[in-house]
Parts: sequence; C-alpha cells; structure tokens
Amino acid sequence: MTSTKRKVNKIDALLRACRLMLRMSKARPEARKSEIMYYQMLADYYTRLLNAREAGDFVAAHTVFFPSEIMYAMDIVPMHLETTSWMTALFLGEYADLLAAGAELGLAPEICSPHRGLAGAFATDALPRPDVILWSNMVCDNTAKSGELLMKLTGCPGFFLDHPFQNTEGEMNYLVEELADMVRFLEEQSGRKMDWDRLSQGVARMDRQIELLRQIGKLRQAVPSPFHPQGFLELLTIDYLFAGRPEATEYLETLRQELAEAVSQGKGAVPKERFRLMTLFLPPMYLIGFLERISQEYGAVSVTEPFFCSWGEGRLDPSKPLESVARKSYMLPEMRMYGPLDDRALSEIVDSAKQYKIDGAIYYADIGCRHTCATIKLFKDVLDELDIPVLILDCDVVDPTIASEEEIRDKLERFFELLEDR
Amino acid sequence: MTTPTSRAENAKLHVLDRFRKVNQTFPKTDEILGYESQGKKVFGWVCTYAPEEIIHAAGALPIRIVGYSHETDLEDGTAYLYVNNCSFSRSCLQLGLRGEYEFLDGVVGGSTCDGARRLFDLWRNYIGTPFHHVLTVPRKYTERAHNLYHDQVRQFHRHLEEFLDIQITDEALRHSIEVYNESRRLLKALYDLRKLSAPPITGAETMEVLNASFRMPKELFNDYLRELMDGLSTSGNSYEGRARLMITGSHLTNPEFIKSIEDTGGLVVTDELCTSTRYWSDPVVLDGDQTPLQAISKRYLNNFPCARMFPSDERFDRILNLARDFRVEGVISQIIKYCVPYAHDRPLLTEKLQAQGIPTLSLDVEHGTSGSGQIQTRVQAFLEMLESRQR
Repeated sequence: MTSTKRKVNKIDALLRACRLMLRMSKARPEARKSEIMYYQMLADYYTRLLNAREAGDFVAAHTVFFPSEIMYAMDIVPMHLETTSWMTALFLGEYADLLAAGAELGLAPEICSPHRGLAGAFATDALPRPDVILWSNMVCDNTAKSGELLMKLTGCPGFFLDHPFQNTEGEMNYLVEELADMVRFLEEQSGRKMDWDRLSQGVARMDRQIELLRQIGKLRQAVPSPFHPQGFLELLTIDYLFAGRPEATEYLETLRQELAEAVSQGKGAVPKERFRLMTLFLPPMYLIGFLERISQEYGAVSVTEPFFCSWGEGRLDPSKPLESVARKSYMLPEMRMYGPLDDRALSEIVDSAKQYKIDGAIYYADIGCRHTCATIKLFKDVLDELDIPVLILDCDVVDPTIASEEEIRDKLERFFELLEDR
Repeated sequence: MTTPTSRAENAKLHVLDRFRKVNQTFPKTDEILGYESQGKKVFGWVCTYAPEEIIHAAGALPIRIVGYSHETDLEDGTAYLYVNNCSFSRSCLQLGLRGEYEFLDGVVGGSTCDGARRLFDLWRNYIGTPFHHVLTVPRKYTERAHNLYHDQVRQFHRHLEEFLDIQITDEALRHSIEVYNESRRLLKALYDLRKLSAPPITGAETMEVLNASFRMPKELFNDYLRELMDGLSTSGNSYEGRARLMITGSHLTNPEFIKSIEDTGGLVVTDELCTSTRYWSDPVVLDGDQTPLQAISKRYLNNFPCARMFPSDERFDRILNLARDFRVEGVISQIIKYCVPYAHDRPLLTEKLQAQGIPTLSLDVEHGTSGSGQIQTRVQAFLEMLESRQR
C-alpha cells in the first residue's frame, strides 16, 4: 500500500473558495442575508480547521451523521469528512487527483468516490492530519469500513461508533452507551473533559433547529416555492457542520423569516415557477452551479427532498443530553433510508408528493451509492401510482467522468418537455 | 492442472454425485420439495448471522438463499436492485422474482451489509413470502454487543414461535445445536484432510459438499458427509498442484471457478468465504448455565467474522492462521464487484499477507463466474510467479 505524497492543501483552497463566494454574495444586492451568513459560517469553519494546529486545537475527523454536538461541547474542532469531499468537488471542481491517489492505494472503483477520494486525500497530505478519526456505520458500508484505512494512513487513533440498525428500546440504549464510550475516548485522547452543561445547551439549540427546519419545510410547500432550486443543500450543510451551534439557529431563524416574507408576498425563488420537483438523493456536486442555472431557466424548483429535509417526529430533552443525541440520530431525515425500508420511507414519499404538490421527481442515481440506488425501482413504483414521472439520472456525486454537464442537460431538458406536455 | 499423485486416476466417490445432484436442482430439490410435501415449513436465510438452529428447532427446514451458481444474465435482478448492487444480491432476487423460491414460508436476514439488507427490503416488497424477520447484527464483539445480539436472537425466536403458533423448547434447541455441531465437526475433519501435502479431495469437490450443506436437511447432509469421509479414508486418492492456494472473499458457490484454478495447476487447499469457513467453522458451545439461545447468539456473533465486523484484525488474524495451518503459498482474493466491505479490506489484508511472504492475486468477479478466460490467464501468471519464488 504505497502512494506518492503530493502536498496540496485542499482546506486552504476550500477556504479561499468560501471567502470568494462570501465576497460575491455580499456584492449582490439581491443576495439573501441568510446566504451571506451561510458562506461566512463555511469560511469560519474552514478557517478554524486550517488554523487548528497552530492554535493548539484538537481536531476530530468524522464521517457523515456523526454527532458533532458532542465535539463542540468538548471544544474539539470537527472535520466533516464527506462534506469536505463534496465541497472540494463543489467549490474547487477538482477531484481527479484524489481519486487517482485512492486508486493507488488499491481501492476498487466500486467504492463510493467520496471515500476513495478521502483516502487519497490523506495519503497525499491534501487534508491535514487530524488527531483522531471517528466513524460509524451510519448510513452505509462505506462509512462503516472507511475508518480503519484512514487510521492507518494518518497514524491516528480512532473510534468506531456502532449504530444499531433498528429503533427498539434496547438498540437506543446500546447507542447511548456507545456514545458514552466515545466521549470517554475523546476525553482520553484530547485531555479535555466533556462539558455536560454545554452539551445540554447544544441539545436545546438543536431541538430549536429541528423545529425551525420543520417550519422551513412547511414554508416550502407554498406555491410558488420561496427557496432557491438547490437550496436544500444549504440546509444539509448546516446540520452536518453546525448542529447545535448558535450561528446555525441564527441562520435558520433568518432564513425562515426571509421565506415567510416571500410567501406572504407570493414571491417565488425563480421568475416563473413551472415545475415543482422532488429530489431523491444527492445531485453531482461539480454541477451544482449548472443545476441552479438550468432550474432558473426552466422554472424548475426542488421543493421537497424526503430523505434530506423531512425530520422525524419527537423532541430533544436537554436534561438528557446523550439520550437526546441518540434520539436525534433516529429523527434524521436520512434515517428513513436506514433500518428496514418500510412505511417510514415509502409513506414519506407519498405524503411529500401530495403536500408539496410535485410535478415530477429527479432521482440522482449515484453509481457509488448502493443503498440508495437499490431503491430506484421501489420509489419509482410508489410515484407511478401517484402518476408522477421520475427522471433517473446516472451520475456520481463528485466524479465528473461518470456524467457530463451536456448529458445531464439533455436529459433534464427532455424531462422538462415531458412535464410541460402533461 | 491439479494432478492425482498415487494413481493415474483417482477413485470416483459416488456420494459426491449425490451432493452434485442437490446442487444442480437447487432451489427446487427433491429433498426440499419432499420436506414441504409433508406439510413442513421451509425458511430461507440470507447471510451467516441468521441462526439456523432456531428454525431447525421449530421443526422447519432452514435453507440458504443463494443466487445462480453459474454465469447468467441478471435482467430482473438488475432492474429491481440496480447494477451497482452486488451480483450476489441481484442473482438471489432474480431467482425469487422468477418464483424459484416460491415454496418458502419465511425469510430471515440480518443488517449485515448494504447488499443483503436491500435484498431483504425488495424481497419483502415484491416477493410474497409470508414471514419476514431481520436481525440487527452489531458490528463489534463487546459484551454490550453480545447482549444486544442475544436480545435480537430472542426476538427472532419469539417471532417465529408466534408465526408458527408453537413453542420452541430448550430441549429442541439443544438437539438442533447437536445436529449442526456434528455437521461442523465433519466439515472440519474434511478440511483437516486438505492440510495434507497431497489431499484426497480437490477444492472444487469440496465446494460441492459445502454448497449442499446449506441446501438440504442437516441430518441427511451429515449422513452423506460421513459416507464421504469413509470413502476418502479408503480411496487412496491424493492430489498435488503447482502451489497451495487459499481463496478469500464473500460469496462463492460455483465449483467451476475453483476447478478452473485447479485445471491451471493450483491446488486450492482452504478458503475464507461466506459459503465455506465463515459458515461452518465455529461450534455452538453449551457450557455452564448458559441457555441454548445465549450459546447460539454468542456463537453467531463471535463466529469467523465477515468483513463488516470491527476491528478487521479479528478477520485478518484468522486468515493468517488459516494460511499457516494449510501451508498456503498464495492467496486468490476474489471480490464480487460492489462488495464494499471486502473491497475496503483488500489493501489492508494484502499488506498483512505480504508481510508473511504470501502474495495475493486480486480478482474482481461477478457472482457465479466460472473463472474461465481472463481469470484463468491471470491465475496462470500468478502460479508462474509463485513457482519462480519456489526456485
């Protein structure tokens, strides 16, 4: 297992891209205040990460859906691995070098590209070495299996959080104990004690944030929809990177206010809303700019994303912080896809289709994502029963060699024509 | 090719033909259909973490759900599960969709890997098997994980009792444990013969035995296997090859794949597969005041681990032990495309084997592949490399 070391610091490049986006947003008079806040938060996130070593901070690299509330409560700097992967493709438009480095390690092309790229990034020092690696089986085999290789590549100790598959009381207790073990691990490694009051405060804010996210979801049911066509990606990033943070509450309060005003004024996010869409899974990050443009051009808006934005029922209890962190993991929209694929997933598609009055659905069939693609037929059958057309776009979330902008444009245009004909 | 050493032709063991017949007619074998015609229930299980003894103790026949053991188009399987799910899952689903498993009264799975859990999801949605149960299988070996898994096993036990409207007694469980342990003892004895410098059975023949082991009533399988062991002890058969090989990976049920390696001169002496050592290697140990369900759950979680488990060193150490015990000179790592757990482990395992001086040939295959063509060419080159090291 060898790899040529090439020092290209992606965090530095990401930070510069975030600052550029921030400057551009500030320069646009029509930019949302929440949009400016969003880029400021991203810039702050990567600034802290970039400066962590010099500042003597302790950095924990972690996989997706890991409870970052715990890290914030311990004053540990989190490095969200998959989001950093996606951001690299989204802002920098470059990923080939990381995938090539992953291939050099012997990782098969069938392994999902963000994880191959992450291994490649650490092997080539394109990402700074963290102090610990944290990973879990939320939500697929790739997340479950990536940690040990990353530990070896970085020489870091690690902790695997075993997230049970189903949601029985016994499994919830198991998860709470796993989380307690993780806290002990972080205390030992970082020399910092868990600040339980701070975690409780984070949980209280998270509870508020979930409520705000639900309210934002309701506002997006309006016709025309007030949120921009790919806006849900902002909501995802907020939870992935800033769960329980005060700035996340502030961002969501601001966004909710903006959307409420737009709804009261009957103002849509695109000049003329023609197609209301359901988005199933992640679009290619390297094409987000293009997708935003073509959506504006055709008046097509993603109004609902059942597996990213529909939070499960329930409240968090700040007096039981660890239990609440565990409970939150079962309330996550993505959890509808974890566990047995039953009514939680299927009825959400039906309910969302009706509540959001959708005209069509776009299924981003990420070639590296097995657990989502296996649902294409099932979800399409459910939507067929509602007479809702589904476009299945073969793509990869970060690898542009799987589907080009031209191919995607061609398929989207034909789909919009079909919707128009109906 | 793998050559007989003691005589020009090794003696034909007729009992092997009986195993072959079971495999060739599976899923609708005489044994299974005969069982069903007596009004008894048949349950299919997916993955080695589903505790068969409980189904057996309920008076039902547990059989393993597997896909085609040969190369074939997976048109239906791919239409439902998409091409990026492993061909094992697609192959199983296709057989289900085409009614080949229509005799099943129930399906039991575990949260083992993405492919298996999605196979289970689609099976439940599109194939009308009356009973479904999925067990949460922890990925760790801690006491806490054992408690959780034991709880899951108890829930399965209870669910099955409710469905069948019977009581599955401890006595019945103890008997089933005995039957299954006998099978494991016999298979271990068979594998021990493969440690010999010139084993009396080939890798391809062994795979016929293994395949039959999860496709027929265990008691009958044990009878056949005892007969085979007797036959092997008196046959004087022996085989040698250019190098002693181990095959690693997940599912492999096509004996032709191994035969093609052995036709090239490799002698497959052991394996680390979901369908071989990982299936049979550890017995259920009933000791102290453990209940049968405690013993069963302990065995299934502690068994020769799948790549899904953490830490991976548990699996790697067992593979290194096998390599030492069977005097393995080279490893063929066959990974079904899109089998992510094994693909992630490959770089780490290759490095560990290399540190022991054991080279690895990595093959990305589709489930059911026969190993002809390009694969045979690569095996040939691998054997030449191994021979050059021996000189």
